Amino acid sequence: MVKNVILSVIFLVALILILLKERKYCLRKCRANNHQHGASHKHGEWISIDFYSYASQIRGWNPVFKVSFAVALVILCIVLDNPYVSLIVIIAMAYLTIVRGGLAAREYLSVLMIPAAFIIISIFTIVIDISKEPAGHFNLHMGFFYIFTFKAKLEQGLLLMLKVFAAVSALQMMTLSTPSSEIIYVLRRSHIPKLIVELMNMIYRFIFILLDVSAKMKNSALSRHGYCDLKTSWHTFGRIAGNMLVISLKKANAYYDAMEARCYDGELVFFEEYKKIDKKLVISSVGFLIFLSIFPWITI
Amino acid sequence: MSKNQKRVLKLAIVFAVMFGITPAANAMHIMEGYLPPKYCIIWGAICLPFLVAGYFSLKKTISENRKSITIIAMAGAFIFVISSLKIPSVTGSCSHMTGTGLGAILFGAGAVSILGIIVLIFQAILLAHGGLTSLGANTFSMAIAGPLVSFGIYKLCQKLKVHRHVGIFLAAAIGDLFTYCVTSIQLALAYPSETGGIAASAVKFLAVFAPTQVPLAIIEGILSVVIIIGLETYAKSELTGLGFIKAGEK
Repeated sequence: MVKNVILSVIFLVALILILLKERKYCLRKCRANNHQHGASHKHGEWISIDFYSYASQIRGWNPVFKVSFAVALVILCIVLDNPYVSLIVIIAMAYLTIVRGGLAAREYLSVLMIPAAFIIISIFTIVIDISKEPAGHFNLHMGFFYIFTFKAKLEQGLLLMLKVFAAVSALQMMTLSTPSSEIIYVLRRSHIPKLIVELMNMIYRFIFILLDVSAKMKNSALSRHGYCDLKTSWHTFGRIAGNMLVISLKKANAYYDAMEARCYDGELVFFEEYKKIDKKLVISSVGFLIFLSIFPWITI
Repeated sequence: MSKNQKRVLKLAIVFAVMFGITPAANAMHIMEGYLPPKYCIIWGAICLPFLVAGYFSLKKTISENRKSITIIAMAGAFIFVISSLKIPSVTGSCSHMTGTGLGAILFGAGAVSILGIIVLIFQAILLAHGGLTSLGANTFSMAIAGPLVSFGIYKLCQKLKVHRHVGIFLAAAIGDLFTYCVTSIQLALAYPSETGGIAASAVKFLAVFAPTQVPLAIIEGILSVVIIIGLETYAKSELTGLGFIKAGEK
């Protein structure tokens, strides 16, 4: 068990280092962007995920295969709850996304680090306990009360962190290589009600339209000193959001008319590329899943 | 101070620094892989009746008026975009609105449950917030519990003849706070404290997330009011179309 703890601590230290470095990089990037004009500033982390998924070299793999592989991995991670399985998954997913997918390691890490703040805060909360008497293995006197923890709790927290990162990286392998439209296609294949799939298709398209609108409005507000101080910027934010709703309602009507003009009768049909299922890939991934699921019994 | 205590102190300092450098105050999406399998299934099952009810009400609206499908889809996209816009703040930290409270006030709580789960799926796919196995828990806290409370408070304030803007502020802020409480309880149920059980654990989670979530709820309330004021000034006819302002009022 000592081995487990050492393993996880190394992981935690690496994580913090990456986080610090990433933050510096992000700040620099933000500053560089502010120096340029605002037009290039409409990207955030989310658009980059969409962009990476289209640019990925493993986009050609069958989407049904990718989604089911990722879901199976996530389920295996949380059911087995084994640190070695988690580690293998983290490494395998990094290999798939970076080496096979051709995504830059820095970009991959920055996507993986998005949930890091929540993970660290919430795991910290699980690990510590508060009481009036020093009851744990490690106690910290805080005047009126003690913050304390047990060795077992620390270990549980560290293992949980590994597990969460494994699950997140499996999900990211999917999102960074499968465009949303293909994920929606998989959902339709799995018999999610037609109305919901339809709504998802439309919402996905409308999101980008509205983002474009909001970026334009933000630009024009910026050029008119709309963000000169905090109070003004809140006002600007509210106005932009309100205006966006008005525009979105107007556009909704226009889009319905456009769809009607193209014989819309309750079903949107899109062109879908047929992607062949690579038999070698399926066999090796099923082998990998079986290996993972019997792994805990081999090591004990 | 013993050696152990010193070690813990150092650990605490590291965490304090972490808090300082990552003031990202997102809505509390529970991450992929965080919940044990039992709770993933339970929360999903709890959401199911609400989702089914929401689905049928949406289906009815759309079969009555086919044209409303694009408006409903736009509402979903609007909630997503509102939740992805950075709120202006002094420190340059990234905070976001949840947008579901405002959505419930504008479009009604029934529509928001289905739109909420779709928005949550897109947040997981496009923004890496939340996940697929924690979708049930997140849907319950963000798309069902929060909006229902927001909607209820908004209606209650209308009945009690509280000023409309105060009502909207209260609805959005309390809905947000309620979401944060529900999420804390969900986390506590999955990971109860060794000594005090679930209640102690819930208090811990509430305390740890309070510094980010309480100001965020107040900001969300203020911004919702600002948005509604903007809408009332420029877009009365659209609001009447949504049923927000009853015809002949004001």
